[in-house]
Amino acid sequence: MGTQFIGEHLQYGKLGNIFIILSFTAALVSALSYAFQVFRKNEDPLSWNRLARVTFFIHGCSVTGIVALLYYLIHDHYFEYYYVWQHSSTTLQVKYMWACLWEGQEGSFLVWTFWHVVLSTVIIIRGKDWEAPVMMIMMMIQVFLASMLLGLEFGHVKIGSNPFILLRNQADFANLPFVQMPDYLSKLKDGRGLNPLLQNYWMVIHPPTLFLGFAATAIPFAFAMGGLLTNRVREWVKPALPWAFFGVAILGIGILMGGAWAYEALSFGGFWAWDPVENASLVPWLTLVGGAHVMLINKKNGTSLYSSIILNTVSFILVLYSTFLTRSGILGETSVHAFTDLGMTGQLILYMAYFTLMAIILIIAKRKQLKDPNEDEHVSSREFWMFMGMLVLVISAVQVTITTSIPVINKMFGTKMAPPADAVDFYNSWQLPLAVIIALLIAVAQYFKWKKSNGSEVTKKLAVSFISALVISGIFEYYFRFPRVQHVLLLFTSIWAFTANLDYLIRILKGNIKHSGSSIAHMGIALILLGALISNVEKQVISRNMLNVDLGKDFPNNENILLYQGDTLAMGEYYVSYKGKEKEGVNLFYEIEYFKANHGTGKMEKQFSLKPIVQLNQRMGNVSEPSTHRFLSRDIYTHITYAELDEGKAKADEEGYKEAKPHMMKVGDTIVASNSMYTFYELDKNIDKKSFELNEDDLAVGAKIKVTDVNRKEYFVEPVFVLRGSTPFTLFAEVEQLGLKFGFTKIDPESGKMEISVAEKQSNTRDFVIMKAIIFPQINLLWTGCILMFIGTWVAIRKRLIESKKS
Amino acid sequence: MKKIHIIGIVLIAVALAVIVSTVSESSTYVTFGEAQKNEGSTYHVIGKVNLQKDFIYNPEMNANLFGFFMADTTGNEVKVMYNGSKPQDFEKAEKIVVVGKMEGPEFHASQVLMKCPSKYNGTEEERTKSLTSSN
Repeated sequence: MGTQFIGEHLQYGKLGNIFIILSFTAALVSALSYAFQVFRKNEDPLSWNRLARVTFFIHGCSVTGIVALLYYLIHDHYFEYYYVWQHSSTTLQVKYMWACLWEGQEGSFLVWTFWHVVLSTVIIIRGKDWEAPVMMIMMMIQVFLASMLLGLEFGHVKIGSNPFILLRNQADFANLPFVQMPDYLSKLKDGRGLNPLLQNYWMVIHPPTLFLGFAATAIPFAFAMGGLLTNRVREWVKPALPWAFFGVAILGIGILMGGAWAYEALSFGGFWAWDPVENASLVPWLTLVGGAHVMLINKKNGTSLYSSIILNTVSFILVLYSTFLTRSGILGETSVHAFTDLGMTGQLILYMAYFTLMAIILIIAKRKQLKDPNEDEHVSSREFWMFMGMLVLVISAVQVTITTSIPVINKMFGTKMAPPADAVDFYNSWQLPLAVIIALLIAVAQYFKWKKSNGSEVTKKLAVSFISALVISGIFEYYFRFPRVQHVLLLFTSIWAFTANLDYLIRILKGNIKHSGSSIAHMGIALILLGALISNVEKQVISRNMLNVDLGKDFPNNENILLYQGDTLAMGEYYVSYKGKEKEGVNLFYEIEYFKANHGTGKMEKQFSLKPIVQLNQRMGNVSEPSTHRFLSRDIYTHITYAELDEGKAKADEEGYKEAKPHMMKVGDTIVASNSMYTFYELDKNIDKKSFELNEDDLAVGAKIKVTDVNRKEYFVEPVFVLRGSTPFTLFAEVEQLGLKFGFTKIDPESGKMEISVAEKQSNTRDFVIMKAIIFPQINLLWTGCILMFIGTWVAIRKRLIESKKS
Repeated sequence: MKKIHIIGIVLIAVALAVIVSTVSESSTYVTFGEAQKNEGSTYHVIGKVNLQKDFIYNPEMNANLFGFFMADTTGNEVKVMYNGSKPQDFEKAEKIVVVGKMEGPEFHASQVLMKCPSKYNGTEEERTKSLTSSN
């Protein structure tokens, strides 16, 4: 107290805190009002509904207000707020400012809450008699989410983390004398800034898309729970169906955008690395896809009701679990990009437990009404194969979840398990066979009719696509030669999945766009599988270092090459040359030129040049960002793995020599330098002292050294070690052509080794980069697949919406 | 037998298979001493890099071999050789995890994971510095 701080803008924080408290209490009142509306049917039917809507409106405005206010604070650099200081800086470009908003946990909870508000508004407008039960669940979710921003502390219990906390009140800084100075703000130069890896356009659109996908999983769950609560245990499926597919489309695209970001901006060389954070968002998508498909079955024949309810619940709970994994800091050692712990673990567990228990209790309470009609699906029915597909997706989800949860298992049981040493290989060995089955089901399932179909008819219809897939995959196999049988199987099944859906679209649907959603989406999935298979299995690291010594079985891969400025090296079918670097702001651009030899003229022809980046960032560490040249059939990816950044560190003397490096050598030893190698081949004890202008009683020994340059030209030098009395000194010998100066500086009588010092001219050491280059073939199939999947799902949602309007 | 039973059995069987395969394939977090006892098997070791000792990195000779000294959680220091180029900003890592095996006195790592400091829990001076220095 007492201290008057200069230059702070406290009014914004106060307003923000009002919004936060309002959003929480309004959500609570709205949830309760909707609950009263659901359970007190015989009174005035609208009385509670009105209050619920008004409080929802207040809640929605408050959440929007928090978003707007926080963005404003970031935009205008109010560093007195910890969140602003932590996640942004004055040097940040405006286009990345949104990314600051969701870099921190509070911000990402906020975005998630905001999307729930948007989706809930749609429910209120279109929901009719579903409004109250669905909104009751949605508002319960909002109560939990809004509490994540409260930032209240009762002793050791912490509820939420407030994004409007002042820097001088934040626990890490509060007791510093610096922030107690009235004018501390003027001495605060800049914010800590946005993580350089996130300064990428994908990071502006990927997180909000992913969170919209997360938010979308809440709606079918809320419909299922609302249906159970209001004894409409079957009716909820129809209105929830478009929402489930909406979630499939948005979450799917959100996950793939994350992959695109990883491929473009991260350096792990690929778009999917089975990283825990990626897995955490993939798993709810898998179960949601399963859930949406069994809902289709249920709509058709009334079965699979249990699976519909359970899968939608599981998808929603898994979204919470994924948040728990990434936000609690539990992933610690296993993930590169896990968030730090804000102490909300307990809150997240409570959140998960509440909704899990609610679902279990409701399902048990209503179990009598949930019984399926007694007919079992026939093996030749479409629903049977769709159901099998769902099972395979669940198996896939189970495998990913268990392996990703190793740190959680460790915590619960006190074990010390680490992820498999080659985690990618482990996941692939499980997921590849499952992908083969899924692709097969995508190809054949729709050719079966609902209820029961004629086997020979199905076979006849599938024949065309089967044969064309055989031919196409034969061509691919001839070209690529896949290393394992399961690769060939996935190649064939994914191509068949594509041709079968194309055939279905053309011959059975006769190109009718309105009904084509599922075919298009499945063609997309088939292309994603195919593109992932080819670009991963057939990816080719072309930057192999051929010159290396064999390092034994532990060090088999030499995937980086050293490239001196101006040199040209052969790499795969290309020749690469490092032209130079250029500094632009915080980015160092390294220009790498790719050439091909023209066999006719024998000349080198430039193909393209790439500019991978090293972004300089003192606080968070420099990061390097790859650069990729795109062809229709393949990408060439180039990445700087190491570069000498601190130039001019080694000072040169007046002759232009850098500090000499001492080498302990014995006769016969060879040392490699940047432009030559030198061999100490003989110790010369018969020095002609006169020619060296030495005294008669000096002790002098020469080291005969042979220097070989890169063109195999040889030079001979002899530096001399002299002991005059008890003072040692050396007579240097130079190879002027190579800019090398040799000295013979010490003799170690114990080991019999001699110290030869070598100084190189500054002009000798050229700039170099160590880089990695990978060819990803056919990766465009994957991106095309993403777009098709999105379009197809959208067409399917439209069809469902039109249907639900008609009824 | 009803559909739900078949599903249940299949799921339980798969979950068991996954657990068994995960446990058998999983590596373990150990110290260098424990890794030494089982030379040749793959482990994860958590520790800190000794910045006092020089790194071994000679890109002119071999761009794919990087060596450093690292102390595990018990303070036992071992030379680690990594098959790859020197990770950018290796000096700044607060804590690292190496995946690989012991070969004689050396640890041969196939992966090096770095954890950079994300919290401001240094001394008072360091925390003040993080406020006053610009990028």
